[in-house]
Order: sequence, then C-alpha cells, then structure tokens
Amino acid sequence: MEAAIEIRDLRKSYGDVQALDGVDLTVPEGSFFGLLGPNGAGKTTFINILVGLVRKTGGEARVFGHGVEDDYREARDHIGLAPQEFNVDRFFPIREVLEHKAGYHGVPPGEAGDRADEVLKRVGIYDKRDTRFDWLSGGMKRRFMLARALITDPDLLILDEPTAGVDVQLRHELWETIVDLNQQGTTILLTTHYIEEAERLCDEVAILDSGRVVDVASPEELMDRGTDDIAVELRHAPTAVPDFTAVDERVESVDLDGTRLVVTAHQGGLVAPEVVRCLDEQGHEIVDLEIQRTSLEEVFVEMTRQGEGRATAEVSQ
Amino acid sequence: MSIDTTGFVSLLRREVLRFVRRPRNTFVPPFITNVLYFSVFGVILGERIDQIAGVPYILFILPGLVVLGAISNAFENASFTIFHGRWNRYIEEVLTSPLSYRTMVSAYVLAAAIRGAIVGVLIALIGAFFTSVGVARPLYLVAFAVVITLLFAGFGVAGGLWADDFDDLTMLNQFILRPLVFFGGVFYSLNELPATVQQVSLLNPMIYMVNGVRFGFLGVSEVDPNASLAVLGTLTLGIIVADIALFRRGYGLTD
Repeated sequence: MEAAIEIRDLRKSYGDVQALDGVDLTVPEGSFFGLLGPNGAGKTTFINILVGLVRKTGGEARVFGHGVEDDYREARDHIGLAPQEFNVDRFFPIREVLEHKAGYHGVPPGEAGDRADEVLKRVGIYDKRDTRFDWLSGGMKRRFMLARALITDPDLLILDEPTAGVDVQLRHELWETIVDLNQQGTTILLTTHYIEEAERLCDEVAILDSGRVVDVASPEELMDRGTDDIAVELRHAPTAVPDFTAVDERVESVDLDGTRLVVTAHQGGLVAPEVVRCLDEQGHEIVDLEIQRTSLEEVFVEMTRQGEGRATAEVSQ
Repeated sequence: MSIDTTGFVSLLRREVLRFVRRPRNTFVPPFITNVLYFSVFGVILGERIDQIAGVPYILFILPGLVVLGAISNAFENASFTIFHGRWNRYIEEVLTSPLSYRTMVSAYVLAAAIRGAIVGVLIALIGAFFTSVGVARPLYLVAFAVVITLLFAGFGVAGGLWADDFDDLTMLNQFILRPLVFFGGVFYSLNELPATVQQVSLLNPMIYMVNGVRFGFLGVSEVDPNASLAVLGTLTLGIIVADIALFRRGYGLTD
C-alpha cells in the first residue's frame, strides 16, 4: 500500500533553533495517525512543511509520492488542512469562503456550491451559511475549520488540535465525523494535546519531542511499555513482602501496606494470574483484586521527560 | 476546465467581489476627492490659469487625475489584499491550494488592475461632468490604462509582501507614490520647468504615464508615447515576473 506521508531526515532550523532535527516517519494510506508531543516539539512545523507554509531546511517530505516542494501542486491537492489557528477569510459569509476554497482546488462553481452545503450540513452549521466567520461561536468556528478541510474531498486530512477549547459534547461529535471519514478511506493525521483523543482514535502514534521522533507505535503498544499496578487486598497481612520479581521478569516492584499489596508490572493484565497463583500457593486469601492500567498520557509524559533529560545532557556537554 | 483555470477564476472573482461589495471603502473616496480636485483646481483656480499645451487647464489636469486615481487604487488594492491576508493569515487558503504561483499572482494583479481601471473611468466621467472632454487616441488610452494599472498592481503585490505593518503600506502610498505622481506633471507642464529640473523630471516614471494617458485623451504629449509604452510595458512584465519569483520563494509568505 502506498504511503500517504513519507518523511526522510526532515530538518527545519530557525537560526540556531532546530525545530525539526532529522525526522523519519511513514504514515500508511488509510490510517488514523496521531502526532503527539509537548509544546514546541515541532508538530505544527511538520504539518506546515507538508502544506507549503514552511520551507524545509533539509531532507525529504512526500505526500502520496509527491514531493511537497518539487510537486507541490499535486501534493497540496491531496491535502485538507484544519489548522490550530483560525486563518479564515473574514470578508465573506462562510458558504462563499468554502466555494472559493473549492474553486482554488479546481472544483467548478456549481459543484462547489453543492459541496459547501453538504459539508456545512455534515458539521452541523448549515443554518449559519450566510454568516461571516467572526460572528460564529467558538465551537462553530471549530466545526467550520473541519468543513473547510473537507470541502476539497481530501485523501489526507490533517487536523492540528481540532478539538482545542471545545466542550465535551462537540468533541465527541467531531470524533464521530472524523472516525466516519477514516472508515471511508481518508487518511487522518491528528495532532492533539488530549492524549485520550489519540488513545481512543489512532491506529498508530508518533511521539515527537525537541524536533525528533522518540517513538512510533500503536497506543496499545505504547501503553504496554508503561507499568500497570495490580492492587491485591488480602484477608490477613503477610509477615514479609512476597518476591514476585523472581517469578516474572515483567514485575518491576512490590509494595506492601498492611493487607494491601501493590505489584507494579509491565503488561499487568497478563501478570495478574501469575500473582494470584503465587499468592494462593503461599496460602494467602485474596479479598479483592484490581488492575490499574497505565494510561497513554503517563507513558507520554515519561517519554517526553526522558527527552528533556537528554536535551539537558546535550546542552551541558 | 483545468485546476488553474477554475482556480484563477475563483481567486479573481473573490478579489473583485471584495472591492465591489465595499464601495464606501473603494469607490466613494476617489469619487469625493476628484469632485473636489476638479472643483478647486479645475474650475476655481483653472479659470485664472492660461491654457497649457494648447488646452484649458481643467482639461490638462484631467488625464493626470485619471492616472493618479487608477494607479493609487491598483496599488492599494493589491498591497492591501496581500498584506491583510498575511496579517490575518487567510492568504493561507490560497497558499495551501494546488494553484501555481503564476496563477496566484496573475489573479491578484488582474483584480487590482480592474479596480484601478474602474476608478480611472469614474474619474474621467467626473471630469466629463465639469468640462467637455473627448478621446483623441482611444487605442493609446486603452493601452496605457492597461499597462499602468497592471504595473502598479504588480508593485502593490510586492509592497504587500514586503510590509511588516499597516504603517509600511501607508508609507509606500503617501511618501513614495503620491510625491512621484504630484511631481509627474499632473498639475503642470514640463515646459514650464527650468531645463535642469526638466531633465531630472524625466527620471520620474510618472511623467511617461501621465503624458501617455494625456496623449490618449487630448492627442498631445511632451514625451514620445510609443517609447513610453515600450518602457512601461517592459517594466510591467518585469514586476509581474518578480512577483511570481517572490511567491515561489515564499518571500513574506512562508517561514
């Protein structure tokens, strides 16, 4: 299958600041791909290089096989972008803004009008079609950004913080629309600060930190790299802390507080039966057991904290 | 239709609608200003001034006022739309589209030139209300009108890319464009200047524009209209090619 985005050794510097420092990334066609990273990690720079708003300093960036600078017209024709910052034409009612945008992509006038109506209905702001962007509420503005990205019927939909500042209900509605598009074959590239969003929606995520890709994996794989807590409530307090590290190498630590035993381990769901079996063999009676899965957010914070440490070490060298 | 043709028409339409729908900002100001110019300079002062180049003073200044209005509006339209689009970032709607840089520049320049031409016609009509005016050389008039509006639309695009602030746009218009026009023979004849000043004045490109349009209206010119047309035409082509190169480089548009 062709890659929707193919990135090799992508670099961007602003004077001494290295915004992107040799990024390698492949986003498969049809995937729902997340780009996570703290502020200043280079996510928006990365996106802006794809759509032609930032010039790369080095490396290669291709969209459906088209170089974003040499074949910029073909590359841009595949992309629909909903940026984080509002960048909408304030002079015209939103329906006309959509018609213009469709026209720039070669959609004839009659069809552009039909498409504008269709996407406005899809995001639920058709009754505001004759209103100018400035007069829309915050939530409607976010909906419109998605409508504008969809007007050209893109193969690759890039969403930069699409649900920033919207309420829970709207966030869920937007998720539903995006998932629906992905199921119809549109490749989605999503950046978000809501890790739950990535956990819930993405097939694969890349963690970007200080202009570098720290890791690329599915949310489940990333969560497996974190540690889960298996909390066991015993009938009677043990006289010593049971040693599970020798039983299963995935166990990281064991803490005992009275009758409450907490085993910290990778892949806690798989380790738990082993813990139960051992406790049973040692004659302990289990009253309650709970597995607290690590969240993607915890893994993300841990990974980017390691990045901070690395960056600090590099600076001090 | 290809992407370029449809895209060009869409961007041109957007640009034209922007100024057509805001006549209070685009057409009413030059209308009022030129009614005042013709009233004060043409009628009140003009009656006390002898003929210049064989024509009444009000008729002499009419082509210059047409040029002044046409190029100011062409320049202002292009520089404003580019700068305002950058300022509010909605120019990104165009920049992220598959349009070629040549198509983007062509649409911006042509739309601004259309506004300049409309204002030029408006001023000529105001002049016709105050005095009897004909068109001695219509082909020359059209050719000069096309070239000078395109030229200043082209300059406007470059200005809009260069400006970092609204003050920069005001500076271009008030401190560069307007003095060049006022010293470009709009209100006086070159023959009335001392010989040295006459020679220096010939370095001002406005002299050729004003005289070219004057030749179109009145059939009289103080410089060779064909040479003027050739020089202005070359300049126009040059600035449009430069605009396309600036867009391609992303000057003022991309990081």
